[in-house]
Amino acid sequence: MSAVLEHLVNQPYKHGFVTPVEADTAPKGLNEDVIRLISGKKKEPQWLLEFRLKAYRHWLTMQQPHWANVRHAEIDFQDIIYYSAPIPKKKLASMDEVDPELLRTFEKLGVPMHERAQLAGVAVDVIFDSVSVATTYKQKLAEVGILFCSMSEAVRDHPDLVLRHLGTVVPYTDNFYAALNSAVFTDGSFCFIPRGVKCPMELSTYFRINTQESGQFERTLIVAEEGASVSYLEGCTAPKFDTNQLHAAVVELIALDDAEIKYSTVQNWYAGDEQGVGGVYNFVTKRGLCKGASSRISWTQVETGSAITWKYPSCVLLGDNSSGEFYSVALTNNRQQADTGTKMVHIGRNTRSRIISKGISAGRSNNSYRGLVRIGPKAENARNYSQCDSMLIGSHSGANTFPYIQVANHTARVEHEATTSKIGEDQLFYFAQRGIGAEEAVSMIINGFCRDVFQQLPMEFAVEATKLLGLKLEGSVG
Amino acid sequence: MGEEEAAGMSTAVAAKHPYVEALLKGCTELPHSPLSWLDGRRAAALERANALTIPTTREEEWRFTDITPLTRIPFRPGRSAPRLTERDIARFETPEAAIRLTFVDGVFSPELSATAGLPYGVLVKNLAAGLETHCVPVEPHLARHAAFERDVFAALNTCYLRDGALVIIARNQDCPTPVHLLFVAAQKEIASYPRCLVIAEAGSRCTLIEDYVALGEDAYFSDPVTEIVLGDGARVTHVKLQREARSAFHIATCAVALGKDAEYASHTVTLGARISRYNLSVVQQGEGARARIDGLALVSGRQLADTHSFMDHARPAGKCVQLHKCIIGDAAHAVFNGRIVVRPGAQLTDAAQESRNLLLSGTAHVDTKPQLEIFADDVRCSHGATVGQLEQEQMFYLRSRGLSEARAHNLLIYAFGAEIIDRIPVPSLVAQLGRTVLEQAQTAA
Repeated sequence: MSAVLEHLVNQPYKHGFVTPVEADTAPKGLNEDVIRLISGKKKEPQWLLEFRLKAYRHWLTMQQPHWANVRHAEIDFQDIIYYSAPIPKKKLASMDEVDPELLRTFEKLGVPMHERAQLAGVAVDVIFDSVSVATTYKQKLAEVGILFCSMSEAVRDHPDLVLRHLGTVVPYTDNFYAALNSAVFTDGSFCFIPRGVKCPMELSTYFRINTQESGQFERTLIVAEEGASVSYLEGCTAPKFDTNQLHAAVVELIALDDAEIKYSTVQNWYAGDEQGVGGVYNFVTKRGLCKGASSRISWTQVETGSAITWKYPSCVLLGDNSSGEFYSVALTNNRQQADTGTKMVHIGRNTRSRIISKGISAGRSNNSYRGLVRIGPKAENARNYSQCDSMLIGSHSGANTFPYIQVANHTARVEHEATTSKIGEDQLFYFAQRGIGAEEAVSMIINGFCRDVFQQLPMEFAVEATKLLGLKLEGSVG
Repeated sequence: MGEEEAAGMSTAVAAKHPYVEALLKGCTELPHSPLSWLDGRRAAALERANALTIPTTREEEWRFTDITPLTRIPFRPGRSAPRLTERDIARFETPEAAIRLTFVDGVFSPELSATAGLPYGVLVKNLAAGLETHCVPVEPHLARHAAFERDVFAALNTCYLRDGALVIIARNQDCPTPVHLLFVAAQKEIASYPRCLVIAEAGSRCTLIEDYVALGEDAYFSDPVTEIVLGDGARVTHVKLQREARSAFHIATCAVALGKDAEYASHTVTLGARISRYNLSVVQQGEGARARIDGLALVSGRQLADTHSFMDHARPAGKCVQLHKCIIGDAAHAVFNGRIVVRPGAQLTDAAQESRNLLLSGTAHVDTKPQLEIFADDVRCSHGATVGQLEQEQMFYLRSRGLSEARAHNLLIYAFGAEIIDRIPVPSLVAQLGRTVLEQAQTAA
């Protein structure tokens, strides 16, 4: 029966194709000239160039971190193309004029932009190798005062807003990859929800790494003013390449008084083949700042791809009564490695946080939950509840938990629970008795295991995530 | 230096860290052992001590425990101990334990020890004497289980390894009364390196009390290493009491190896020392071995108590239940890192770990990290951690039964600690420790 399980966990990557688009590419390697080139290409103001250069100079002084429970060959940062923009065939006036090659790519991905945008009412800001190509529903959002555009446009059209917030949650000194990102980020999404506005639709971006050996360094900034609320979705896929691609993004969220930000990710970058060749290195810094009183930030992530995932979406709970949430499903198969989790830093009074993490490891993969709950000395009545469950499929995979709990206030209450289990043969037998095949049974058990997290996803993403896990674990059983 | 070279110690190179060098001063002048294997192990440890540095908070293993206060005091090894009488140590005696070995500042004190009338098959001796008579069973174990390659304190202890406690329980023998290993600190600014080796052969049983006490309130440094080997089906209960002086430093290592179906129970109670650290590592070398690891740290003032435990399920069908509790008052700080590893192939492992922490004051502080690393799929593992103050509902319940606020408060703290203490199989210690918890509760009120 365990042989059945082993067969269940193999599924070829369906999104591996390369779109031949003429790219405007910087030479390999990183130096101040490359940064000036990126900044110049994007016609950026002087302050942003200086921000990049400061970050770059700081990055030079830093060491690559090695504390994560992942193994990979040393990354040669001079062997990466830091800028690659698809050259649009002509200036874009409407969606119909978007490069048809690109649109075909998205169709293959199952993201028909028009359909999705119109039927589902989702505004999609498409990022294709670092430059935003098409933005939909911008007008509709503009009517209520929401700014939703690419980072480049934001720098051009709303420099004051970007200047005020960029790097305030994740400073360029934060960590090695955040410094690198601050130096070379090419594009990303920017979203600003003004005071009291509830965003009328789910905002969504689709990221995709295209040119081989081009690291993608996107930068996302979401600001919700007093009483505003927004739900933001991010989906990721990458085509199949043999060499490893580096992805070092930075996402910053800022919530002022009573604001609410919900950030959902479905990550399905290319994970490498069964032998662990190729795949994306996903080294991401995501952090939300609950700056105002009673603000709320919620992270939901479904991590199924990437050769290596190194990612800790965090909440800094600064405002009194603010709350942070983290819901995660991380699935690893074959030789994938994931070291992921969250940080909840309680600073304000009556702050609350909740962590639900589900890790599934199959094949020869290694899946780690690493989390931090820190209650500061002034965080009176802070409350945290964490639950991290692991499931192992097959006897060659690993599941680890590294929860750090640091409490410096005696009125705080912190609870942490973790369990490990496997899909029991008795469970499969029970399903078989009722005429349900092993494959479907595994899929149902996994979906049940992950239900607490999927419930947090917006409808269409929940459907996609359920399918994605099914696909990942689908096999050759008849 | 010249003298040392003349003495033939080839490894007498300068230590990398000046404080380690200061601690090692005089170590190389100690006489050689007639046993070449023992000299070899000491030389290897000296080489490691020279190469290692005093850990800082930049290292993950010592991230929350800053031991710089230790390095401000120039401790020297205890060469001779003051003569103490039975009266000096009377308050530390455990009535149940008829067998006792006493060490004063790390030096064996035969007059304060009681080894008369040992039951058949039970050997309790100081290590130096034991090596003369029982070299064969000792050789495969001494300095073999407590790894010193990456641990400067274990390395230091091994460099100084001359004497200590040796307990051997022969196959299928039962030691009916607890064995009390008493380590008394008498002088200030002494560094002592106590050593214990316990060999419980297959099918044997015994209860050990490893006890660290002080006569005064001065600063000193204890760096003990204990090795416990359980043969197939052996059962050992290990009570470790750390009641050092409140200004002392205590950095202890304990390495336990479990044979097939062996059962090990550890009851650790941490009360004293300004900074204490306990590294307990249990390796399951045989199938179906079981371990219970209980810990209670009761700290107040500006004390820091750090427990790092490591349960290594290297073989299948092991079982481990761990409960670590901390009661932290004033501006004290408790650290717990409980690591459980299930190695590839260690199927049917059942491991449960809990870390429970009670903060009694606004300035108390806890860092806890339960850690699971699992590389086998057919296992049952769980861990839990909680941090909080006394539950308001519980207080209310007791108040509604007519208890005063202070009594309710004390009772709840007592109950929190009693869960660990009550499981210690030595009644006089249970009573004594219960009183200590209650006293602490009263001062915290």
